[in-house]
Amino acid sequence: MKPETELKRSAEPIWWALFSAGGVCFAVFIPAAIVFLAMLLPLGVVELTYTQAQSWYFSIWGLMFTGAVVVLPLFHAGHRFRHGLHDLKVQQHTLVKVLCYGFASALSLLCLGLWCIGYFN
Amino acid sequence: MINVKVARYLPEQSAAPFVQEFKVPYDASTSVLDALNYIKEELDPSLSFRWSCRMAICGSCGVMANGIPKLGCKVFLRDYEQGLLLEPLAHLPVERDLIVDMDAFLKHLEAVKPYLINNETTAVKSATTHQQTPAQLGKYKQFANCINCGLCYSACPQFGLNPEFLGPAAITLAHRYNLDSRDQGKAARMPLLNTAEGPWACTFVGFCSDVCPQQVDPAAAVNQSKVESAKDMLIQLFKGKL
Repeated sequence: MKPETELKRSAEPIWWALFSAGGVCFAVFIPAAIVFLAMLLPLGVVELTYTQAQSWYFSIWGLMFTGAVVVLPLFHAGHRFRHGLHDLKVQQHTLVKVLCYGFASALSLLCLGLWCIGYFN
Repeated sequence: MINVKVARYLPEQSAAPFVQEFKVPYDASTSVLDALNYIKEELDPSLSFRWSCRMAICGSCGVMANGIPKLGCKVFLRDYEQGLLLEPLAHLPVERDLIVDMDAFLKHLEAVKPYLINNETTAVKSATTHQQTPAQLGKYKQFANCINCGLCYSACPQFGLNPEFLGPAAITLAHRYNLDSRDQGKAARMPLLNTAEGPWACTFVGFCSDVCPQQVDPAAAVNQSKVESAKDMLIQLFKGKL
């Protein structure tokens, strides 16, 4: 055990908070998104034209959708992968961390960038 | 008769551990601890194991029964008719036969300051010391039932990977005192709980709660401690102390 003066605060609460928020989104919003986008739309139960979809997505609602259905679930999945690899005894902790959260960050930035381009045009 | 295999380790005789098989008579009330006592008294007096109370209170007789951490006094031979392999508790150094070195575990328990910390002068001043409502007791009562048997440490794959991890029982004990209305020591316990070796090393496998003979649910305490540590980080951030 380390002496008390050498105790270092872990940054884990940040990743864990993103993981928790992502978990809620995974449970609540993703099933709804799948039902709507992957079932009701292809079956023709609801109709959505390209212009409707575009004007809705490139509004503030689209930003919230991106956060709840893409960004937070990505960090949730990244966290799970990271800890899953730890459980499988992959020792390169820093590399795994950079890859998992890096992938989540890169895809998040891509989505947010696309939204910004649409919103500000 | 049931075939009971016991992992033996006799460092003065051989450097390598080995497995010895015994035939043990049993009835519906023969516990695994009874079987060990039968072996020691009737078959092989050199067998070493810890035990004391025979009623799941002292927490001494923890062993791996077919790979699962159990209290020897709380499991019965009738449930192992297919055969039983007894081994020392996993993740702890073996001293001899079924006896493990509990030092790492005890050091972790000690490190979380598992006692009431409060301002003595206020306590002395108070005419009615340490009164508690049933609701205040209810907050921590479940977590106070730990008997320090160490089964959760044998069940925890994270403790197996990293023995620096504070582990289920120690974090539960810290949480138990943090939740106690008579205690003011949370600030003194949080620095350790905020480290990577605190609750953050837990990946919520939950096997600790499965094997706990007292239904303490250490996994819940560990995960509630994560919330406390996250809150602590946020509060310190707003106070500008991070």
